[in-house]
Amino acid sequence: MPSAPATAAKARPARKLSWRQFRAILRKDIVMELRTFEMLTSMGLYTLLTLAIYAIALSASGNGFDVRLIAAGLLWLAFIFTSMLGLNRSLVHEKDQGCLEALLLSPVDRPVIFFAKAVGNLIFLLIVQVFTVPLFFLMFLSSHAIGGQFWMIPLSLLVGAVGVAGVGTLLATISVNTRGRDFILAVLFVPLMYPLLLAAVGATSAGVLGGQSYVADFWRDMALAGGYDVIMLLAAYGLYEFVIGA
Amino acid sequence: MDKRRLTYIALAAAGVLTLTGFLLAFFVATPAQTIATLSTGGGRLFGGVFVSHPIDFGQKIFYFHVPVAITSFAVFFFTAYFGARFLITRDPAYDVKARIAAEVTLIFVLLTMLTGDLWTRWAWGVWWVWEPRLTTYFILTLLVVAYFVLRASVDDDERRAVYAAVFGIIAFIDAPISFAITRLVPSELHPVVIGVPGGLDGTQLAAFLIAMFGMLAFGFVIYQLRWREERVKERIEALKSALED
Amino acid sequence: MTKEIFALVSPSLPYVIGVYAALWAGLMIYVGVTLSRLGRLERQLVLVEDALAKQGRTS
Repeated sequence: MPSAPATAAKARPARKLSWRQFRAILRKDIVMELRTFEMLTSMGLYTLLTLAIYAIALSASGNGFDVRLIAAGLLWLAFIFTSMLGLNRSLVHEKDQGCLEALLLSPVDRPVIFFAKAVGNLIFLLIVQVFTVPLFFLMFLSSHAIGGQFWMIPLSLLVGAVGVAGVGTLLATISVNTRGRDFILAVLFVPLMYPLLLAAVGATSAGVLGGQSYVADFWRDMALAGGYDVIMLLAAYGLYEFVIGA
Repeated sequence: MDKRRLTYIALAAAGVLTLTGFLLAFFVATPAQTIATLSTGGGRLFGGVFVSHPIDFGQKIFYFHVPVAITSFAVFFFTAYFGARFLITRDPAYDVKARIAAEVTLIFVLLTMLTGDLWTRWAWGVWWVWEPRLTTYFILTLLVVAYFVLRASVDDDERRAVYAAVFGIIAFIDAPISFAITRLVPSELHPVVIGVPGGLDGTQLAAFLIAMFGMLAFGFVIYQLRWREERVKERIEALKSALED
Repeated sequence: MTKEIFALVSPSLPYVIGVYAALWAGLMIYVGVTLSRLGRLERQLVLVEDALAKQGRTS
């Protein structure tokens, strides 16, 4: 008789505990970052450099060229390279300071580690995006009006970032234990990300360009990107336990 | 012994079936007309190039290309399957099996790329188009190559096996998504590749199926041979070290 | 950008058949090479097994 309420009482603190563990790991990542700002500065600088390269790439295109046609692609390109840098950094820290081993020794559920790391990475990616997007518009699109609606751009970037952070965390955990860490991350990351990028660029592009039936296009691409996020995050979540235990 | 005989039978079947399919495709199967000829009477734009032919010999590629592509995907499934079996059982044999399946996948993916590229050159007159099927196979090639790059960069056996298994599984999940999204997203309308209006007729279907089973048998044979080779190698190594002791 | 490529396409039929035959032959050769390598390894295995059996008798 007393067993049923006892297990219920046990289950509740367990859920609370993993929530606390989740917050603890996340807070640790953020506090560490706030102490040095190492990841954010390196990612931010890297983005600035990418934008400078865009200026070179577009320098010969003349005044007649409508940058909006490729703006979404350029934005995502800067974002994808920056996120690879950030993901690699985020796990190299853990690895080099022995933090991952310590986490594994502690009685923390493996999925909690995955979600905490992924959410941490997502937050950093979003911070970089918040700085990058206005800068990009200022530098490249100040003379153009947006064809679609502005809210579409941050929304599509957010949905893309969720997939990038989730799958990226799994892949970075793999690549950090290999020789040639960042190279391996790129080799694994780009082909796996390809469908998400295609859908996300399509959605962002609908927001930037507008045009015929762009609202329908936007939602179709968002649905595809969201579907990718759900499936791949579930897969990454299921497989993370094996990766981190190896 | 039993499996050995099965392998040889499959090898013979693979050789005969693919050869028959090949000959049937070029000499017996009814030539297909392009959709272009049927629907517009003139031609059609493919990747900015105007294409028109009265009888579509380019469709012949279908009998070779599609079976190879299907085989590559079927074998890729086994990379993921053996990877999953490895993660469950931790039996190193499954890791070897998964690796061999990935090798066979690479062979067939490369064949698919080659034949597909000929198709674009022939049917559309360009060497490369970012067309859904080709793009997907390009990505699939990258994934399989990445699988081997990953394997090569991990020293510890157990860890290599786990990472490869995980990546094999997630890559296999990714491939169909990539196929679906590539077909749905880009804004311009993509051509329907197989120029066989109203399905395949009898001779065409026969040629296709024969080539198809032949290629699947080829995949099976290569896998079996490579697997036996690995096992014999392992055994020799074990005996040699016993000999030295 | 529009250009008529029909004339360019049709005469290449023998080449395409040729390339496909070559690919098919390549596949067969690959299987043949694998088979012969396997045969060599199996003979080697027999040799090593014999050597091991002999050693077992002498020691």
